[in-house]
Order: sequence, then C-alpha cells, then structure tokens
Amino acid sequence: MKVRIAPAAAIVISGLMLVSSLFYLFVQPERPLLTSLWAGGLLASIVLISASVMGLYSSDRTIWRFERVIYLIGDQVLTLALVLLITTDTLYPGGDITLLGLSAVFRHELVLSFLVLLASVLLIKDSINLIYRYNQRGREILVFAMIRLSAVFTLLLLGGILFLLLYKGIGAISWEFLTESHIHLGQEGGISTCIEGTFWLVTGAMLISAPLGIGAAIYLTEYSTHTGLKRAVTIAVGGLNGVPSVVYGLFGLAFLVANFGLSLLAGSIILGLMNLPTIILTSQEALKSVPNSLREGSVALGASKWQTVRKVVIPSSLPGVLTGLIIGVARAAGETAPIMWTAVTFSATPVHKIYGVVPDVTQPVNNLCYHLLNLIYFLGAWDVEKNAWGTALVLLMLVLSINIVAIVLRKHYRKKIAW
Amino acid sequence: MDPPDRRGARLYRKYGDRLVEAVLFLSAITSILVMVLIFYFLTYESFLAFKEMGLKAMLLGQKWHPAGDIFGMAPIIWSSILVTFIALFINILVGVPLAIYLSELAGSRSREILKPAIELLAGVPSIVYGFLGVLVLVVYLERSFLMLTGRSILAVSILLGIMFIPALATICEDALRAVPREFKEGSLALGATEWQTVRYVTLPAASSGIIAAVILNVGRIIGETMAALLVVGNVARLPIPLFDAFDRGAIFTSVIAGEMGEVAHGSLHYHSLFAVGFVLLVIVTVLNISADLVRSRIQKKFGEY
Repeated sequence: MKVRIAPAAAIVISGLMLVSSLFYLFVQPERPLLTSLWAGGLLASIVLISASVMGLYSSDRTIWRFERVIYLIGDQVLTLALVLLITTDTLYPGGDITLLGLSAVFRHELVLSFLVLLASVLLIKDSINLIYRYNQRGREILVFAMIRLSAVFTLLLLGGILFLLLYKGIGAISWEFLTESHIHLGQEGGISTCIEGTFWLVTGAMLISAPLGIGAAIYLTEYSTHTGLKRAVTIAVGGLNGVPSVVYGLFGLAFLVANFGLSLLAGSIILGLMNLPTIILTSQEALKSVPNSLREGSVALGASKWQTVRKVVIPSSLPGVLTGLIIGVARAAGETAPIMWTAVTFSATPVHKIYGVVPDVTQPVNNLCYHLLNLIYFLGAWDVEKNAWGTALVLLMLVLSINIVAIVLRKHYRKKIAW
Repeated sequence: MDPPDRRGARLYRKYGDRLVEAVLFLSAITSILVMVLIFYFLTYESFLAFKEMGLKAMLLGQKWHPAGDIFGMAPIIWSSILVTFIALFINILVGVPLAIYLSELAGSRSREILKPAIELLAGVPSIVYGFLGVLVLVVYLERSFLMLTGRSILAVSILLGIMFIPALATICEDALRAVPREFKEGSLALGATEWQTVRYVTLPAASSGIIAAVILNVGRIIGETMAALLVVGNVARLPIPLFDAFDRGAIFTSVIAGEMGEVAHGSLHYHSLFAVGFVLLVIVTVLNISADLVRSRIQKKFGEY
C-alpha cells in the first residue's frame, strides 16, 4: 500500500501537538503555552487532511459512506472552531472559566491544552483512516494502539510508584531508621517498633488463618459429600472475601475489643479471619489440581482417608497452598483498616515480651501501616515528610518482596509439575 | 480375633479418622460462623441508631452532624454513588483494554513482564496509594483547578479507579480466555480481522464474566478504606450542585474510618457509624451475590464452553 504523504505529515504534526499538550497538562511548566504553534499545527493538519480527502475523492469515490463523511467533517469543524477560539483570543491567558457552579476553576492553560489534546487525537484518527482508505485494517491499528496504551499505562503506573517511593524514600533509610524507635511524633528516629509490631501481627494472623483455611479447604475438597453444606460454605467464603476491610474493623471493635481490649490478640484474630477466604480459595484450587489417580492409588494400597490426605494429597499440593499463604502474609502486612481500632497504638515502646520471647498478646503494638497513617495526618503540622516517605518505602518493599516470592514460587512449581 | 495391638491400631484408625474429619468440618464451617457473627454484630450495634433516628431519617436524612446528633446518610450515599461512577469509568477504560491485550494480543514475552507487574500493582497496600494520593494527586488537582483543597470526590474517584485496574483486568482476562478457540478461529476463517473477532465474537462471549467482574469491582470500590479516607476530604454534606465532583465529600468507609477513632463507646454517634457499616455491608453482599448469580446463570445457559 502506498503511503500518502499528506496524512502522514498530518499524523506527525498532530503527534507532536499531542505530546506537547500532554506535557503541559501533566507537568504544567511555568512557561507560556505554545499557543501560536498549536494553532498553526492544527490549521496545517486540517489543510493536509482536506487535501488528501480531495485526492482520494477524485481517485476512489466508493469509500465515501455517509457516516464517514459526517464524522470527518465534524472533526474538521471542531478543530477549526478551536483554531478560531485561539486566534480570536476567546481563550485568552488569565481568562479562567468557572462552570455550572463547580468548585473548581478551569484555567486557561489547562482548558487549552486539553482541547488541543482532543483535537490532535481526532486528527490522528482521521489521518490513519485516510491512509488506510477507511478499511478494517486501519480501524484495527487504531483500536489496538489504544489497547496497547493501556498496557503501557499499567507498566508506567507501577514504575512510577516504585520510582517515586525509591527516589523520595531512599534518603530516609538508614540502619538507625530500621533499628530505632520513633521520637518527637515520628519527626526523628526510626520505625523499629512498627516493624516488630507488623511482624507479630502477621505471625498471629497466619497462626489463625493457616490451619483454619487449609483445614476448611481440605474438608471441602476431600471430605464433604454434602453438596448443600459445600454450597453454604462457598457462599460464605465468597461473602467474606467481599466484606470491606473497614467492616472487619467494626466487627473486631464490637466483638473482640469488648473481650480482649485493644490488643495484639484482637488484631491477629481480625487479620486472620480477613485472610481466611483468600487462603481457603487458593488452597482449594491447589488441592483440586491433584489428580484423582494419586488418591485412588493410595486408597488401593489400603491407606485410610486421612493417611491419603496427609501423605499424598497435601505434599503434592503444597506449593499451591504455600503460595496462598504467602499472599496472605502480604495482605495481612498491608492492611490498616481492620486493626485501626483493634490492635494498634502510635507507640514508641517495643513490644512487651514474656520471658523475652513470646509477645504479650494483651498489649497493643505499633504497626507500619498505622505509623504511616499517623505520619500522613501530621504532614502539614510537623516535619515528618521524609520519615513518611521512608516508612512508605519500607512497607511497599516488604509487601512487594513477599508478593514476588509468591510469584516466583508459583512459576517454579508450574514449570516443574505437570500432571 | 485380632491381637490387642492390632485392634488398638484399628480403633485408632477408625476414631482418629473421625476426629480429624470433625476438626476439619469445624474449620470448614468457621467461615459460615464468621459471616453470621459479622452480620449479627453489625445489626446489633446499629439497631440502636436505627431505632433512635428512625430508618427513613437515617437513610434519607440530608444532614450528617455528629455534633448535633443528627445522622442522615444521604450525603454519604450520594458521594459514594458519584465516586463509584467516576471510578468505574476510569477503571473500565483501562482495565478492559488491558485484559484484551493480555488475552488476545500480548506475546509470551510481554505477558511475562505484564502479568507479574499487574500482580505487584494489586499488592500495593492501600495506605501507600493513599499516601501518594495525598502528596501527588491532591497537590496536582489543587494546582490545576485552583481548588481550596485538592481533597475531593474527584481525587478519590481517580485514585480508586486506578487502584482497582489490576483486579478488573485479572478477572476479565480469565473471562476472555475462557472463550473457546474454535469461536475465534471460526471468525478469523470467515475473513474477519482480529479486531472484528474481538469485538463481535470474543467480547460478547465473555460478556457475562466481564459484567460479573465489574459488579465485583463496584463492591471493591465502595469498600476501599484507607486511600479513600485520606483523599476524600471527609466532609459529609451534599455537594452543591449535586454533580460537583470537585467538592469535598465523604463515602461510607471514610466516614467510619475517620470518625470511629474519636467517638465515645456506646454513644449515638458510635451506633450510627455501625449503621453506616451495616448499610455498606448489605450493599457489598448484595453486589457479591449478584455477581455470582450473573456468572452461574450464564454458565448454565452456555455450559462451561
């Protein structure tokens, strides 16, 4: 297919306008807009597109269907209107717009950049359609480009979050930051008590959710013959999975804090119950993937049901179950809402331990998430921003590295085991 | 007659197995028990507020004034609706194309990069999103729209919309992958382009799964707490005009998380916050059940492909 020069040039020009307007929208540099350049670019694109329409019209009239013409003309008219808005100074610098009583001011720079962005997208669309003479291939290229953009966006998002936290937070991290407790409301000192508290909370949560979750999964896949019960449990697990974390917090407040007070125990139980559905679902999946022939072989050798489960089914499904547990650890470490009123205080004293080993479960602890929350609250009032970035970085790295372990484990075992 | 030690082993085997089964049974019904307990405690604690205020005044009252002991949830419900719509728009705008990319377009190499990336994104704790929301998104909005404070319904919508892209994309991808290859190959063999196949064959065939995913995500969006609490502004009043997303607002979760720390145990305010939690729980549970129904109904209709 012969590339037509006019629409190709229009694409290049519109692409440049798209990039520059995006830049102005998001970075908002302190410099005047490229208003005249944009007006010129829009005008040039219109001329180029019109020229190529003329050319196409004389050579091949069959492609001009009514709705295509309407869309094309509509796009051109809109762009022309924008050019007129710019050249007649209707959108002049300082002419801010308030609209419909919204409590926002739409600044001239922003409105203009946004309109230019829209117009350039429309122009690019028309030009690509013209290059491909409105056949399906052109459409496919357009749509797939958008779809690919969503993937790029996702990667940029993850990269952006990681970069920002590393860039801002790495300065706060030092050996002292990790090993000392905070002083002066977190303005100085470190986060050792939070790390310790998070560790014990997660340990407690896993001690509760791992046996219960795996046990439930084993019962559901290996023992249960009663479909009604199975269905009821499945519904309950689905329901629990959807219960918002703040509701778990309320539940803990009403049910556990009334009995145990603000304590490590209450927080562990709540986090454990919260993790239950995840662990049940992942374990069930892992158990189901064990082929029946293994079970039958074991039973044929005279093993009882429990022996079969213990010696055959659990070992073969262990990697899957383990992955679920690890994801549970990551989730428990990153949750704030359920423990806010049940387990944590903004304390700088280390966890009180009985015999120096076992933590006193009746006492509240500090926690990374809760510490970060408090620092965010202090942001305007005290100088805690640096430590807040540091805490966020530690928390993110902790949770992400646990997740990475789970991902690697699963990948490894998928490769290795093929039934 | 077996020798005594053999008999012991047999007894052990018989009753030991029973015992194990009983323990496993108990752990299986724990989830039912917890679900019942959650409903019981939330109903119990919120009952007093509903009794004191009256069901209608509580659900439709237009003012939420803790200081004056007036607790009408209309502002909260309305903000939540606004947030859900805007967030869902952003969510679907990126999430569904991402799922299409993963299931239809991506080569094995880009999948290998993208899949773990999505999983990691899903793992970022909500408080970290909230932190970045406060220091990046809110500041950006403040500067762009000259707002008094960038903490607004719009800010929370954007943040929640972005937060749940991975969740939506993952479930939608599963739905798209469940569409049998014969469907697509048939379409391609008829001369359709790849996009036409996606648009007219794969997407309709997977629509039930996608709808279920969207419903589930609505539940996630209105149930998300920490990120919402930090960027929503937490002022429970009806925006004027009603569609003013640039105004501060308060959604279910943010009201509970923001105010529960300071209330006196057993006060009307305390019970009213439980009432907010109860309404939230009911909404989310209904959403979850309907997502399940959508999925199972369509499965019945089409079989498991």
